[in-house]
Amino acid sequence: MSERAAIDRSARFPVLFFFTSAAAWLLVATLLGFFSSLKLSVPGLWDNCQFLGYGRLFPAHMNALVYGWAMQAGLGVVLWLMARLSRNKIEHPVAIIVAGALWNAGVTLSVITVWFGFGNSMPLLDFPAWVWPVLAISYALIVVWIVPMFRQRGESLIYVSEMFVLGAVVWFPWIFITANLLINKGSAPVMAAGTNAWFITNLSYFWMAPIALAIAYYIVPKISGRAVFSYPLAQVSFWLLAGLAGWTGFARYMGGPFPAWMSAVSSTASIFILLAVLVTVVNILMTLKGATKIWEFSPSLRFTVFGMLMLAAYALLSAVSSTYYFGKNLQFSHFVVGLDTLAFYGFFSMTVFGAIYFIVPRITGSEWPSGKRIRTHFWFSAYGIITLVVCMLVGGIAQGGSLAQWDQAFSTSFVTSSAYVAGRCIAWALISFSNLMFLYQLALMFIGKGRKSSGPTLIHAEPGKVESAKAAAGIN
Amino acid sequence: MSSNKFWKLLSALGAVFALPWLFLIVIPFLKMSNAQPVPYSEEDGVEGIAAYPDKTLQRHGASDYGRQIYAAEGCAYCHTQVVRPTYAGPDMWRPGWGGREEDGLARETQPGDYATEKVAMLGYQRIGQDLSNVGHRITSRELMHQHLVDPKGLDPNSGMPAYKHLYKKSSIGSGYVPTGKAEALVDYLMSLKKDQKIPGAIVSGS
Repeated sequence: MSERAAIDRSARFPVLFFFTSAAAWLLVATLLGFFSSLKLSVPGLWDNCQFLGYGRLFPAHMNALVYGWAMQAGLGVVLWLMARLSRNKIEHPVAIIVAGALWNAGVTLSVITVWFGFGNSMPLLDFPAWVWPVLAISYALIVVWIVPMFRQRGESLIYVSEMFVLGAVVWFPWIFITANLLINKGSAPVMAAGTNAWFITNLSYFWMAPIALAIAYYIVPKISGRAVFSYPLAQVSFWLLAGLAGWTGFARYMGGPFPAWMSAVSSTASIFILLAVLVTVVNILMTLKGATKIWEFSPSLRFTVFGMLMLAAYALLSAVSSTYYFGKNLQFSHFVVGLDTLAFYGFFSMTVFGAIYFIVPRITGSEWPSGKRIRTHFWFSAYGIITLVVCMLVGGIAQGGSLAQWDQAFSTSFVTSSAYVAGRCIAWALISFSNLMFLYQLALMFIGKGRKSSGPTLIHAEPGKVESAKAAAGIN
Repeated sequence: MSSNKFWKLLSALGAVFALPWLFLIVIPFLKMSNAQPVPYSEEDGVEGIAAYPDKTLQRHGASDYGRQIYAAEGCAYCHTQVVRPTYAGPDMWRPGWGGREEDGLARETQPGDYATEKVAMLGYQRIGQDLSNVGHRITSRELMHQHLVDPKGLDPNSGMPAYKHLYKKSSIGSGYVPTGKAEALVDYLMSLKKDQKIPGAIVSGS
């Protein structure tokens, strides 16, 4: 067995564990997303049931999406990438799976407590104070096996993907523990809320973005068979992102009860981060220049490239909305939901899907059962997330504009934007459907019902027609 | 990889993040923690209260319970408690949002306004009204309860859901009897008055 196959084999169970439980949470999250949007669309619905209020469904949805799906899928990717890049086998798969089960218990608690009315209205940190240590401890028990792998690597050049992975692994617990301590133990009420906003943007830039970029810097050169367009550019963008992301967040409360410099600094950081993100996205696209036909066939590449475009869109929208000119109306509007979902689903999830389509065949030794279902997954997800972001952006502008007309009744702003909220329902329905496809295929792979074949499953080829697709794409 | 190189990279990753962590979060947090009330001077012309923020003025029951209900129901996902200055948004133009305009006390919210709460419920979105000064806008408990039981009855265009699970059904009166939770929530909402005069502030018309 080759060294690479041995590494993949050692990663099989822990990585599959994270991917399948993440995908199951994702389905829960998308369904909660659908029902919360429906409740927002039709406020009178289920009036007597306390469990179906927007104020409980929406945070439960966010918790399931971020801690259930995004963190776990990210950990699976991190585990595999680190093993591959550092050429180390995963030595303690059972310990990792046990820690992963503890993490899942923590996620279940965080969703259930919020849903049953023990939440505290702090987005993504709204579980009771005793839940976060469970998450923090199980996280530590997982990454304690990841960092040593990096340490034991050879003396060769450090890949940029490894830097992104290492950064994400180190930064996440830092922001998570800081934010939870300040909210639960702090005695500065306003800073608790500010730290909450800081946590959300930092989660996007210090967990979601680095992992998405680690994937892109690994998968794009790998599939296209080319070297990264510019290695120095990749490094510069890494350090720019690392140095700037921590300053973001307070732009969500422009004009809020904070010293004005705080939101000003955050706005500036958001705008400069746009530069870092554009540099890195262009770098990745340049790597593919002239070989773009491959993404019509390769599921991994298609999801990853789409994710990168979404990352650029996210950086652009958060930069734009952190200026007074646009922020005046967009702050507190539906746009906020659009922006956060663009991070959690738009760029992060789409890129991670790319990674999962790449990784799972390698660790299970079988190919995805159906290219058609991958195509369905892609298009329903892509249309879903674009619908959601556009609806929330335009709806946010409509809502904010209506609020600015102070002599009109407040409820006008609700009526004006209600059509866009209906759009958000449709978007989640599309995304839910696409993830049903995804979970189904992943479950087949999990139970060993994958296709036994030497050729990869491509989006546009029936099994057996792989060669012609490869020829068309110019692979080999 | 050599141990030296590993620690170098790790400390570089730590250092770039330690900077914003320290200056944007830890130091402002320590400075804002346990902020002492500022006493009024004679020129402020405030009677009956000694200092800003006045912890007795903003009392809402003996405990934090009302705010906890507000938080648990996720009110802050649709209601903000932030009144922005006019350079950052049109909040001050909305009648009643900034506080008692007729007394010249309407203003944007300040950190001290949240001093009696464990966590400031600044909010995520503004699907419903800003509630910073709802205690001045809705002055009767009766009406506040009605808002929670049947918001559409008060404004047919309202996007607010009814919170009937905080009430018990009854055959007398309006048909809904508030539970302890509903009373605590109303206590909290009625206490939301974030327009206390700032010591040394120049008030229009005075």
